[in-house]
Amino acid sequence: MIVTAKSPDGTEIGKAERHYHPQATNCRDTKMKYGAQWKVANLRDTSLQPYQTKADTIEFDLPAGVRTAEVTVDLVYQAVNPDNSYPIHSVTNTVTLDR
Amino acid sequence: MKSLKLLLVLFLVVLPFAAGAGQTEKKAKTIDELVEMYDSSGCKDCHAEIYTQWEKSHHARPLMGVKGGLMLTPLATKGATAFSPDDPQRATIKNFPCFKCHLPQALISAEDSVAVELAQALVAQDATKVAKLRITCTVCHNARAIIHKRELGEPEKGVLYSSKKDIDAHPDKTFTKVKKSAIMKNAIFCGQCHGLGPNLEFDQPFQCANLYGSYLHSYIPAGGTHTCQECHMKKGDHVIAPNFNDDKQTSELLAQAISLDVQTLGYEWLRKAKDYTPKVVVNTKITTTAGHRIPDG
Ligand code: HEC
Ligand code: HEC
Ligand code: HEC
Ligand code: HEC
Ligand code: HEC
Repeated sequence: MIVTAKSPDGTEIGKAERHYHPQATNCRDTKMKYGAQWKVANLRDTSLQPYQTKADTIEFDLPAGVRTAEVTVDLVYQAVNPDNSYPIHSVTNTVTLDR
Repeated sequence: MKSLKLLLVLFLVVLPFAAGAGQTEKKAKTIDELVEMYDSSGCKDCHAEIYTQWEKSHHARPLMGVKGGLMLTPLATKGATAFSPDDPQRATIKNFPCFKCHLPQALISAEDSVAVELAQALVAQDATKVAKLRITCTVCHNARAIIHKRELGEPEKGVLYSSKKDIDAHPDKTFTKVKKSAIMKNAIFCGQCHGLGPNLEFDQPFQCANLYGSYLHSYIPAGGTHTCQECHMKKGDHVIAPNFNDDKQTSELLAQAISLDVQTLGYEWLRKAKDYTPKVVVNTKITTTAGHRIPDG
């Protein structure tokens, strides 16, 4: 999941990513491994679980003078490597401090 | 006389069990012989729709990786993995522990020479040859259709197993009978290959799919009751999606299965007297309808 905030002129003012997936090492060192031949067991699992909601809160501080931001949340599935992406959802909200 | 009778009885009982697919037969020496033994192209004549669906499935290209990546290449490359042989000429079945799930028929019916030929094909990046090795109709409908082997014996030669019913006269030339499998409707049928966690039975453990573990330990405890087949094979669909080579369909299926709720808020946070920090807060909630973790592996 990639969350991007942009000011009205299009300048990026904040970006955050969340990665949801099982993570394995070879149980000999502390490096995460990639590829079945290297992975031995999961040590952390942030993947989406059945019947559970994955909730996150992301905050951006707005730079001085910026009172409106366009926030886009892109949910993307990546298989095998990050270059191989399948877009799932993209939601854009405009947030303003002026009312 | 008595002992002869006993011998005869023994023969009668033992024979049909021993004659499982390729079990007691000569093993395949070449990739082509292995392909021939599990060839399912004949099924196309009468089960055309299922066959076309299967051809689009990952089961029809289990050694090709996503988008033709030939993922077994490191296993054939000296020093690239703990399993790789020093020389492709000396490869054995044991150099490819991945066969357990990606090509189970190799464990049942292939000589080490098949591993040599595969290792050479991988080094040469001969995708056409690697693509011949598939989880065919008979791998699922015969070789993997029985797990209670002590009670039910090995899958019989010339018999296909169905999730539904016995058919005494099945019109195929080789497979003249259909019998009901005890497990083809159950999740454990798929669980045979979809992984519990680390594969600890090897002299060097490793982990690929562990989705069946997630199904058993997350979905079932949460009260889930569907089988893999009920979600993935509606109306007998053998594409068994997702098909990661079809970007558009994969995105659509994921969009149906995963919901994303986004709430945003802008306000000025009071850090200390007169010190306002303008903030944007983004709250996200993601849920899925799957019967296991997403993603797996
Ligand atoms: C000559 C035509 C023909 C060929 C070739 C053929 N089948 Fe069949 N198959 C049938 C017919 C007809 C039925 C019966 C359908 C029924 O009675 O519901 C059937 C039934 C089945 C069933 C059971 C269906 C059920 O509803 O229980 C399975 C499983 C099956 N075939 C698999 C295969 C496989 C795998 C192959 C290739 C190895 C194959 N068939 C080759 C014609 C054929
Ligand atoms: C316990 C069974 C099992 C073993 C053993 C196994 N795999 Fe897998 N593998 C699977 C299954 C099932 C999938 C697809 C489903 C998934 O990823 O959840 C898969 C997917 C993959 C993928 C991703 C391709 C795709 O279509 O999703 C790669 C790459 C892979 N395996 C490589 C290997 C290698 C290399 C080995 C041997 C070192 C290996 N696997 C051993 C069951 C296994
Ligand atoms: C990955 C394993 C797998 C492969 C490969 C596979 N099948 Fe199936 N097939 C199944 C399962 C499981 C069912 C039962 C689905 C259900 O319960 O709804 C089934 C159902 C069927 C049926 C309906 C009868 C029944 O058992 O419900 C036919 C006919 C059939 N398959 C033919 C084929 C043919 C022909 C091929 C090859 C083109 C093939 N299958 C490949 C697993 C497989
Ligand atoms: C004989 C072992 C075997 C059986 C039985 C089996 N699968 Fe698979 N399945 C695999 C392998 C191996 C792959 C990955 C192939 C590849 O690398 O592309 C796979 C891929 C898949 C995929 C595509 C997703 C992906 O990550 O590649 C789905 C979905 C799937 N299987 C569901 C099922 C279901 C549902 C059943 C039971 C009806 C089942 N499988 C039975 C071995 C098996
Ligand atoms: C309650 C319905 C449900 C059940 C039960 C279920 N699945 Fe799934 N499965 C899904 C959905 C939904 C997805 C994600 C959408 C898609 O990609 O098709 C998915 C995705 C997958 C994938 C791709 C995994 C990945 O890494 O993204 C595989 C492989 C798979 N399922 C296999 C299985 C197997 C094997 C079983 C049984 C042990 C099973 N499923 C049980 C609904 C289900």
